[in-house]
Amino acid sequence: MIRRRTILSLLGSMALMPIAVRQSKASPEKATAFLKVVGDRLIGVINSGGNAQVRRSALTQILNETVDVDGIAKFCLGRFWRTASAEQQKAYTALFHEVLVTNISTKLGEYKGVSYTIGRARADGDTDVVSTVVERPNNPPTNVDWVIAEVGASPRIVDVLAEGTSLRLTQRQDYASYLQHNNNNVDALIGAMKTQLAQAG
Amino acid sequence: MRSDRRSRLPIAGFHRRLACVCALVFSLVGCAEKPPADDPDAVADYEQTNDPLEPTNRVFYAVNNGVDTVILRPLALTYGAVVPRPVRTGVRNVLTNLGSPIQLANDLMEAKPKRAGDTAMRFLLNTTVGLLGVFDVATSMGYPDHDADFGMTLASWGVPEGPFLFLPVLGPSDPRDAIGFGVDRVIDPFMWIGNGNIPAIHDLKWAWFSLNAISARERLEDPIQQIKKTALDPYATFRSLYRQHRAAQIETMKADSSGTVPAYSKKTSD
Repeated sequence: MIRRRTILSLLGSMALMPIAVRQSKASPEKATAFLKVVGDRLIGVINSGGNAQVRRSALTQILNETVDVDGIAKFCLGRFWRTASAEQQKAYTALFHEVLVTNISTKLGEYKGVSYTIGRARADGDTDVVSTVVERPNNPPTNVDWVIAEVGASPRIVDVLAEGTSLRLTQRQDYASYLQHNNNNVDALIGAMKTQLAQAG
Repeated sequence: MRSDRRSRLPIAGFHRRLACVCALVFSLVGCAEKPPADDPDAVADYEQTNDPLEPTNRVFYAVNNGVDTVILRPLALTYGAVVPRPVRTGVRNVLTNLGSPIQLANDLMEAKPKRAGDTAMRFLLNTTVGLLGVFDVATSMGYPDHDADFGMTLASWGVPEGPFLFLPVLGPSDPRDAIGFGVDRVIDPFMWIGNGNIPAIHDLKWAWFSLNAISARERLEDPIQQIKKTALDPYATFRSLYRQHRAAQIETMKADSSGTVPAYSKKTSD
């Protein structure tokens, strides 16, 4: 009986395997379609005439729905994530969300009139990388690559590469250096992020 | 005696003095302390950062920041405010065009004939149809610009970047790019033209260097301010961005094999 159940479950898992593989495997076409939706939503917010508060809340909603902010936050803390307490992780992640929204929303005004063209998309391991060219009035075109992964069965942006520079890697190295010069104290980082938010107003 | 001084490369004397100052500061400040071996994560971080001269580099970062705040940034902001955008674009195009000989030499040394062809066509078209380089007509005619310098050439030859360096005046760098900068100055034919008794040409070269710095700084104003505002450690952020940007430029160069093998040859080899 046990043997039969084992064989059945084995067969069952084998039958499911192709599906599971297909789910985790990158799909450049799907990623491109996803990015098109995200890009259009972002441009809608940038070019909308609403006040700053309204635009900020619209941006927060888009980021929460389309960007793996929790995953990026964890990546940016690097090896210090493991040593941080549960409270520190929670406080840091919440602040990371705020910092991200604040940093992007203060730049929104500069992006008025922005447009983008989607180029090729390619699979890179478990992620898809969709290339775009972002054009702003009076600025040279910028190559921006969007790294998209399946997070909890839905596509999410996990990194943005502007002219080949990874935003999450840059952030991680900024935090790592700050921590290194502050006795590897995560509370010091949390304090600095709070100060940064207060200064941004 | 005066003509003797002018016959040297215009930056040689300045760089000699700069080298003395650098040597002095390096000897005074020293190196970053390597973390203890029983903390493998910290050691891995230290090796990945590859910035053993960090304390010294940070001194130069602070010095450059001071120079930037007092001299370069005000000049760049004034330039941006006074000179209309189309003129600034024209200036940038002229400066880029004047850099074509260095670019061409490096394209060839990187064994990128298609890129070299693009550079040669860009120089020809932009110097003539583009009125001495004021207008970049070549891009719209199918000859886009690309990056090429001796630092990238060394990378294509397999030379590693080495530890991070923050150089006075020049900013973020590494030994490979620092050597690359020097070699690019020496192989630049414009550097050698009129290197005799013509003070006007000497002054023109200084004007060219200064304008290059002001024009580049003006274009970088927004990103620099953004980094200083949002980074907790701007030095580390500039270090990371510089390295990643250079790696991306080199990667793009290496991957660009367009036209290096004729299409018919490719078909037969497939």
